[in-house]
Formats: sequence, C-alpha cells, structure tokens
Amino acid sequence: MSTREADRISAAEETLNTLFDMSQLLNTGLDKETLATCVSLIESGVNPEALAAVIQELRRESTALKNSRTATNGR
Amino acid sequence: MSAALESLVYSLVPAARQDDRLKRQLVAHCEEILNSHIGQSVEKDIGHLADLIKRHLLQTTPGGSSTLRFTNLLSRLLEQPVLSRKHASLQFLYSLASTPAPTPLSSTFLPSLAPPPPSRLTSKAATPVEPRPSQKGPNGKSKADLLREYRISIGQPHTPEHLILRDTLYLLQGISGKYVRFSVSRDSDQNKELVFVEDPRYYIPAPTRALIHRLAEVGHLYQRVDSFVREREGRVGVGMIEQSLCHHLQTQLTEYYRLIAVLESQMATGSHTDDLGRANGVEDERPREEEAGLTLKRLDVWIEDWRLRMRMMSVCVEGAKDAHGGALVNLIHGYAENGDPFIRKFTNQLLEEVSKPFFATLHKWLFSGELHDPFSEFFVAVDPELAHLQYMQPSSQGVGQLASDGGFAGGDVEDVSEERAGGLQLWEQKYQFQQDMLPAFVGEAFGRKIFSTGKSLNFIRYSCHDSDWVATREKLSNTGGILQYSDIVGLERSIDTAYQIASQRLFDVFFEKYRLLDHLSALKHYLLLGYGDFVEQLMDTLGPSLSRPANALYRHNLTATLESALRSSNAQNDSPDVLRRLDARMLEYSHGEIGWDVFTLEYKIDAPIDTVLDPTAMVEYLKLFNHLWKIKRVESTLNAGWMRIAGGAKTFLQIPELEYDWHQVRLVMAEMIHFIRQLQAYCHLEVIECSWQQLHNFIQKKEGDLDALIENHRAYLDRMVKKVLLLSPKAGKEENLLNQVRDVFTLILQFREATDDLYNYCLSESARRDVEKDAARGVVTRIDGRSDGRYTQESLPGILARVKDYGMSFSERVQVIVLALATHSDLDCRFLGIRLSFSDFYKMRKEQQTRA
Repeated sequence: MSTREADRISAAEETLNTLFDMSQLLNTGLDKETLATCVSLIESGVNPEALAAVIQELRRESTALKNSRTATNGR
Repeated sequence: MSAALESLVYSLVPAARQDDRLKRQLVAHCEEILNSHIGQSVEKDIGHLADLIKRHLLQTTPGGSSTLRFTNLLSRLLEQPVLSRKHASLQFLYSLASTPAPTPLSSTFLPSLAPPPPSRLTSKAATPVEPRPSQKGPNGKSKADLLREYRISIGQPHTPEHLILRDTLYLLQGISGKYVRFSVSRDSDQNKELVFVEDPRYYIPAPTRALIHRLAEVGHLYQRVDSFVREREGRVGVGMIEQSLCHHLQTQLTEYYRLIAVLESQMATGSHTDDLGRANGVEDERPREEEAGLTLKRLDVWIEDWRLRMRMMSVCVEGAKDAHGGALVNLIHGYAENGDPFIRKFTNQLLEEVSKPFFATLHKWLFSGELHDPFSEFFVAVDPELAHLQYMQPSSQGVGQLASDGGFAGGDVEDVSEERAGGLQLWEQKYQFQQDMLPAFVGEAFGRKIFSTGKSLNFIRYSCHDSDWVATREKLSNTGGILQYSDIVGLERSIDTAYQIASQRLFDVFFEKYRLLDHLSALKHYLLLGYGDFVEQLMDTLGPSLSRPANALYRHNLTATLESALRSSNAQNDSPDVLRRLDARMLEYSHGEIGWDVFTLEYKIDAPIDTVLDPTAMVEYLKLFNHLWKIKRVESTLNAGWMRIAGGAKTFLQIPELEYDWHQVRLVMAEMIHFIRQLQAYCHLEVIECSWQQLHNFIQKKEGDLDALIENHRAYLDRMVKKVLLLSPKAGKEENLLNQVRDVFTLILQFREATDDLYNYCLSESARRDVEKDAARGVVTRIDGRSDGRYTQESLPGILARVKDYGMSFSERVQVIVLALATHSDLDCRFLGIRLSFSDFYKMRKEQQTRA
C-alpha cells in the first residue's frame, strides 16, 4: 500500500517536473509551486484558457500595484 | 478551488498577503473570469496542440533544439499516468506562452499607459483567446444576424446548414435531395435544372442558393460522365479505346466516391459534436460547427479540384460521343497541349490509359504485320473483301482472260485487274490508311511508315509465305520494350528500325527468293527484244508462217517455233524458270488480219511478283513488244530486199534500160534502211538501256519500301512507253507520231513488195531475153517464156509507178515526222529527229521544195 503511494507521489513529482520543464521551455514565467496549483486546478475541471487569462490578469494586477506603489513612493 | 485560487493570488500578487480586501477582490475577479465563456473552443486533439506549440517554439527560438526537447518532454508526459487532462494542461501552457508576456520594462517606462482597471474588457478583446467578441456584444449584431433573428421571429428560419449540407452531398452524386432537387423535365440542352423546394418552414437564403448552384455543377457533370460510362458498359461493340476511356473514367469516379464518403463522414462528426454540444447545454452551436464539421463553403473548397477534373471528363465524354478510335485519342491529345499543369497532367494520365489499346494494336501491326483491330479503331483499315484472300491464282486463268480482252484498249485492262485480285491490288487495297484515325502525337510521316511497315510484314507473311521470318522477328522485337504514349522518342526509334528491317526484308524476298531482277531482265531480253540473236531466229523461222492469214495460224505451231528459236539461240542459257514463262500466242484477230498483226510474245508472271509486274504493266510491255517487233520486221524485210537487189544486180545488167530505175530504188531503200536503223538504235540504246540503268541503280541502292519499288518500275515502264512510242503529251494527239511511223512501216512494206515485183519482172524479162538469144544462136532452152504471165511488158509501167509512188510518199512522210520530232517536247525524241536528218537532209529537201 505504502509502496504504491510512494510510486504515485514520485510519478506526480516527475509529471510536475516534466510540465515545469515545458513551462520553462515555453517561457511562461511560472514557478513550480504556482504551476502545481494551476495543474491541480485544471485537473479539477477548470477551463485552461480561462485559467491562463486569470494568470495574466493577476500578473497585470500585481505590476499595476507595484507601479502605483512606486508612484506613491516617488511622490 | 477558492483555496487554490488564493494561493495563486498570493504567489502572483505578493501585496495581497497584507491586504485582505485586495485579496478578496482579486479572488472574486478570478472566479468571474473562470466562469466566463473564455476558451470554450476546446482543442481536443493533443497532436494538433503539440503542433501548434512546436510552431510557436520555432518562431520564438529558431534552431529546432527546443522543439526537439519539447517533443521529448511531451512523450515523457504522455507516459505518465497521473494527469487525466494532459491536453488541458498543455493548452494552459500554450495559452500562457502565446500571449505576449507583459514586459516589466515597458510598464516601468510608461507608467501612464498602464491600463486602468475598467478597461479590462477591451484589453481582453485584444487577446486571441476570445474568438468572437463582437458577437457577444449586444450592439455588434450584423445585418445577417438581424435578418436571421427576424426570420426566426416570423417562423420561417433559414434552413439549418447541416440539412442543406446533406442535400448538397446528394446533389454531388446526382441524387435529388429533400430541399434541393434536380428537375424532372429537361431544358433545351438536355440538362436538368436545379429546383429549390419551397418549404413553408424553412427558407434558403440567396447566397446559399448560389453556393449550391456552384456545387451542383459537379453533380451535374458527374451525372453526365456516369451515364456515359454506364451506357458504354451495357453496349456491345464498343471500341477498345472507348472501353479503356470508360475504365479510366470509372477509376476517377471511384476516387470521387471516396472523396464523397470522406466528406460524408466529416459531416457526420460535425453533426455529432453538434449534438454533444447541445447536450452539454452550450447554447451557441455555430462556432463549434465551424470548427469541427463540414460547411457548404468548405465543401466548395474540397470539391474545387474535382470540379476541374469533372469538367475535363465531361468534355472528353462529349467528344467521345461522335469520335471513334484514333480520332478519340486525337481529341484527347488536343487537350494535352495546355499551359495549366493540372489539366496537362490529367490529360496525360488519361491519354496514357486510353492509348494503351492503340499501342497494343500498333505493336502487333508493327512487329508482326497483323491487324488486330476488332472495332476498326486503328488508322489502318482492312478491306473486308480482300481480308481473307490468299491469292495463288492458277496462271492459266490469267492467260485466258488476257486473251479475251481483245487488244490493248485501256478500258478492258481495268476490268481484268478488277476481276483478278492480283498482287498489286492486294498490296494497294487490302489495307488503307485512314488519316482521321491517326493520333496526332504520331505524326503523318511516321504514320505512313507504320502503315508501310505493317503492310510489308503482312505481305511477307501471307503473300510471300515467309511467316517464319516474321515470327522470329516478332520475338526479337518483343525484347525491345513496349510502346507507350509517354515514350514517343522510343516509339519513333522503334518505328524507324521496324520500317527499315521490314522494307529491307521485303526487298530481299523479292530479289532473292522470287528473283525479281531475273524476271525484269527476262522481260527486257525477250519482250523488249534485248536478245538480238533470239529475235533474229524467231523472225526467220516465224516469218513465212506469219505472212499467212491470222486464222490459219495455230498456237501449237507458234509455241513450237518459239521453242526452236530459243534452242538455237543464246537464250537457251537462261534459267529454265524464265524460259518456262515465255509463251507465244495470238491476240484476238478480226477478219483480214495476217499473222504479223496478231502475233505476240508473252511472259507469264505469278504471285507475288505480280505486285510489281501487275497486269497493267504487262499490257504496257506487250504494247512495247508489238511496236519493236514491227520495227524488227521492217528491218529484216529491208535487209532481205537489199540483199536480193545487191545480189541480183548482175541479172539486171541484161536489162540496161532499167538501170536508172534500179538506181532510184537503191537510193530510196538506203533512205529507208537509214530510217529504220536510227529508229531501232534510238529505241534500244537511248530509251530502253537508259531507263534500265536508272531502274538498276535504284535496285542496287535497296532503299525505300515496296511502294517505292513499284513506283520506280512504273516510272521505268512509263518512260519507255512514252519514248519508244513517241507519245506526245498533247491531249488527243498522243499517238499522232506513232500513227505516222506506222504508216511509214506500211509504206516500206509496200515498197518492198513493189520492188519484189520489179525484181521478178526483171528476172522473167532477162530469162525471156536469154531464150531469145539462145534461139538466135539456135539453142533451144527448156524455159518457157510464157510460163510467167504476170510480168509482161505491159505490167512494167505499173510496177515502176508503184515503186516511184511509194518511194515518194515515204520520203514525204519521213520529212513530216522529222519536222514533228523537231518540236517534240521530249528531248530524246527531238534528238531522234536530229539523228534521222543528221546532215539536214530532209531540211534541205524541204527548202528545195519551198523554193520550187
């Protein structure tokens, strides 16, 4: 039982590694943790394109926030 | 799910860790996005997705190493059992990658351009993720959409496309559909019209109708081609070329069916996903249908290629209706000269197929001389009457018919050759060249060569009984490869060799096996009196009996005389085969003719030599013989007369009062001898020998085919006939000179008779005087002076008058002839005139006459 569990975990890790490599290759800019979250989301049935849109949106949000902060700091 | 979202928000927007309000706001926004319709078009095919990604990688990092790496990773990923939605993950990565990552540099440099939060929608619209933003917007409806909605509202919506699509697929197969059908009646051009069924429930918009019309053209053409093939299939006696055309068309149609089947399955999957989509509660089905299934417009693109092909096929079919065999090949070849590579390729393919039976026939014809053409499609046609004729006619039949044709009249000769299927007729008419059946890619010169080759082979085989040779040849040539349309150069080469070999062989057969040259020289020696000693012998032995009336002559006597003449002359050394053919006989005679008029020598010819020496030619030979024989007769008569006069001179001395008359006779006779000698020399040396030389040269060269040989022999004969008989080219006056010459011959003969009379008179007169002198001396001789009552003193003036008269008219005639010859169109004939009056003898005499 435990060996099968271990197998599963190692397989999942390997899968994640592969996906991360791909992600690096495609220059998506995701770190491993985020990627794992995204994959689990997708596995639970989230539309991948919508998820991609979400990532984009959040990134834009964060840069906007940073900009506004630097703007306020500069003021 | 929200936990996962939260962690996402934390990792991507670190600021949200401190700010709980911001966090909540962001999570809510994310959920909103996830629930929107972004990315409803799911790419189900992982392979396609992989392709897209690879293309993307190639664009961003040229070189291909990353693509390779990706392929490795992908295969590793696919082996992993963990993920259930691998394609979704890939899609996710691809979406992230393909959207341009917002560069932090630009945002730092251009802070004022950072999009404010309310502009999210527009920025989203810029990404390709959302396929049809304008459709989503309430104000973005196009006129077409408005119209569609209006139609739905009045209860007559557009016909759903999949229904029309199904109908269109039916139309492509020439079957009427539910909403669109072919009309039952036909219009003036025998074409079926397309009819749209008016259905109260649905309405087909005009653009769709136009599209369907376009598509239906293919269906219409298909119907035409299909019906052609079907019609030919069921019929008997369809030519092989047409059969092969049908076969090719059938293969094309099968190809077409395959396409239709593929399209149909496409349509099935299209409507299948459609149903799924509806079951999943996706209300908008249009985009999905366009993604996966078949639409009318796609169908149009798919069919485009086939439209051209169908058009070509239909054109061929139209042409095939009234063309046949080679003409059909020609017709198709006409389309092969096209700048459009597609059409050219198609036509070439078609031609390759269609010309196969033609080349099979050609091969058989070219290498074995057999015409295997059950539907008469080849450009060589056989004359059905002569097709099975094996002509070894008994030679006696030919003789009998010649004997009954009663002279040299041209009209009868044709009858004879018609009755008797001689070698020439067989050669010339058994096979006929048909210009319109000749494929254009062969060319007429080659067509003629092919025709001649096959004819020669056929002739060698059936007429010369040399089929073994042809069979071996055929086996040899079979190793040389097959003939086909795509190898025209090779074809021409094979034709050339086959032509040369066949012609050469035919020549050899004629000259070696059938000894044509021997026969030709025999004809020259016997019929054209080339053997002087033989003719002399014949004349001597035959002369006395020929002076008798024609009805007192018997053929067996003539043949016996001929036999003895042959034996006593050099002719006995000729081969027995030649001598066997020589025969003497009489032409049909009328009352009052003597042997000289009807006697003729004959040379019997049998197959296959009679191809060259056809009956017409033999008649010409007989004509020549007749003329030359007459000259010879006159000559020998003159010779005998001269000898008698010279030898008897001592007798005449006793009658000195006639000395002057004898002198006159000798003068005239010398003139006659001169005339006849010149004429003879001209005939033999200048005409016959020269012509023979030409013919001989041709034979030595051994060029050309049997046609050329026949041609040359005919020219040889024509030349001789024209010159020997002094024929002038003026119509209606051809034989003027000949008749005059014949008159001269008669005059000479009459003159000779008159001189004979004079001679006899002198003999009896001198005898009488001898008796008188003897009586004066008192010796009684036994000769009775009264015994020869014909030559009395009283008959002398009559005889002298005759001699003088004939001499005068002879001289006048010859003068006329010389004058006529001087203006003759033929140079040789003109030269004969010069020879006859070499010292301007006749010219001077004429001048004297005119002066006097």
